[in-house]
Amino acid sequence: MHKEIADFLNQKVSGAEAKALEAEVGQSSVVVKAEHILKVCEALKDSDEHQFNVLQVISGVDFPEGIGEQKEGVIEVNYMIASFIKNTELILKIRVPRGDDENLPKVDSVCGVWKAADWQERECYDLVGIDFIGHPDLRRILNVYDWKGHPLRKDYVVQETYQGMTVYPPDKRNDPEMAFVGEQNRLNDEAKAAAKKAKAEAKGESS
Amino acid sequence: MDSTENETKVNGKDQEKVKSELLTINMGPQHPATHGVLRVEIKTDSEIVSEAIPHIGYLHRCFEKHCENIDYRGNLPFCDRMDYLAAMNMELGYCLAVEKMIGTEVPRRAEYIRVMVSELQRVASHLLFFGTYAIDLGAFTPFLYAFQERETILRLFEELSGARLLYNYVWIGGVWNDIKDEQLLRIKKFCDKMDGELEKYWTLVGHNKIFVERTANVGIMDTEMCYNYGATGPILRGSGVEWDLRKKRPYSIYEELDFEIPVGEGEKGTVGDCWDRFSVRMQEMKESLKIIRQCLDGIEEGPIMGKVSKVLKLPKGEIYMRTECPRGELGYHIVSDGGKVPYRVKAKSSCFTHTSMLPEVAPGQLIADFVATIGSVDIVLGEVDR
Repeated sequence: MHKEIADFLNQKVSGAEAKALEAEVGQSSVVVKAEHILKVCEALKDSDEHQFNVLQVISGVDFPEGIGEQKEGVIEVNYMIASFIKNTELILKIRVPRGDDENLPKVDSVCGVWKAADWQERECYDLVGIDFIGHPDLRRILNVYDWKGHPLRKDYVVQETYQGMTVYPPDKRNDPEMAFVGEQNRLNDEAKAAAKKAKAEAKGESS
Repeated sequence: MDSTENETKVNGKDQEKVKSELLTINMGPQHPATHGVLRVEIKTDSEIVSEAIPHIGYLHRCFEKHCENIDYRGNLPFCDRMDYLAAMNMELGYCLAVEKMIGTEVPRRAEYIRVMVSELQRVASHLLFFGTYAIDLGAFTPFLYAFQERETILRLFEELSGARLLYNYVWIGGVWNDIKDEQLLRIKKFCDKMDGELEKYWTLVGHNKIFVERTANVGIMDTEMCYNYGATGPILRGSGVEWDLRKKRPYSIYEELDFEIPVGEGEKGTVGDCWDRFSVRMQEMKESLKIIRQCLDGIEEGPIMGKVSKVLKLPKGEIYMRTECPRGELGYHIVSDGGKVPYRVKAKSSCFTHTSMLPEVAPGQLIADFVATIGSVDIVLGEVDR
């Protein structure tokens, strides 16, 4: 099925360079070039033999070390589309260079094709850091609106302060060496008792 | 901001010009009718909503980032905290996704227990919807009726798994604890009692004149809109589309079971209104009881855990697995690079897509109708924010 879709896309959208990635374990997918994603989505939705009328989820995956032969960092954006009329589903992939917090990678928004893309692309922008061109209202959705950084990137370091509050104060961190409160009290009492006993013995010996 | 200046004449004399503008008001995040911490910013023109903007993220607990640091078995308790009212279905989806990648065979007894437990959880979740929806509209008594029935289910789950709401019961390869014959008998008695109770709920609430007038022709979501937004579950079925993953893309042992898919028909108003979604959920409870009875008849003896290696490593690849939960379709996209810890886990939650439909349904409704619409969409903020 993925081979037919790749051939159909190569025929319909010139320059898309659709390739079917057949996998022995797990699910196969079709990868296309990132610049033509809007035309590819329109072709898949409007075609009579496929009729992919539902966009389920957009999932962004960060590969800082690259995929396969490519060694530069890429972000892979997966579009899970399905046809509720023909009862099929497809994973459509594009790969964009990673960029960093100042210049985010740019991808065309598919909001005009499926309205579901609205909130899905906002989540992708918020968590993975991809700038969708043509989105009606691109702002963060799960994090606070003035948060810095994109948490699901592999090199994300949380910010030190947020509006004057410390984000990860050292006294609230989980320390594997630290015991719980009751246990700590018991250890303190034992240490005190042991110190008292040692002092009493030293006094008894000297006197 | 919009503002209109009206001239009023009293006794033939010109009064001062009355300026009216839209009032921006916050519904939530602490609000009894938004089912959790959801903040909806509505611009109202007296009592009519002209624009509604939902703001979410108040319950974001970084589920996806946690999953990248903890191994496959350890991620299970995080999964059932997403939609905490339908925890068994959340765990089942994750276990099915992982089992498909490694190719384990789940023993028959475990399959029957899993389906029985998922359907009981569906009944419990829909009972809670019934109780809270009635409370949203002002009827306080059905809530207690629903919770009385729900107690039987939660007590059974507590005996099986140790907890009433967040179970960690469905494990990769099977289930954790076996079910006894005496508990199966109690489930049978519950099913028989529940049929009678459902009739009572229809008479008291479903066909009640006040309830019908408040929910018929309110919050209409037609098929085109549902497909465009990717709505699934009772919302899509309430709009007349016969789409249920348990029949169309069956998983586990659903192929062998016999049940029907209820669809909204516009009996009291138009197709796709709030009453249709309510009626679909009530009929789904009846179908779930049918499934549970078939499982009770067909359950076999045997082991409850399949063969899974001690150190679980998935082969390199990815998978996207969809299951049918009480609120819609749940999807898990798991990317693995061959190690002990998943590379990326993405949970597609139905409530997230359903909340994005609110800005399109809201304009033109009264605020009371908007409350009825939010209630009929049945969102749980744990799944929206993850």
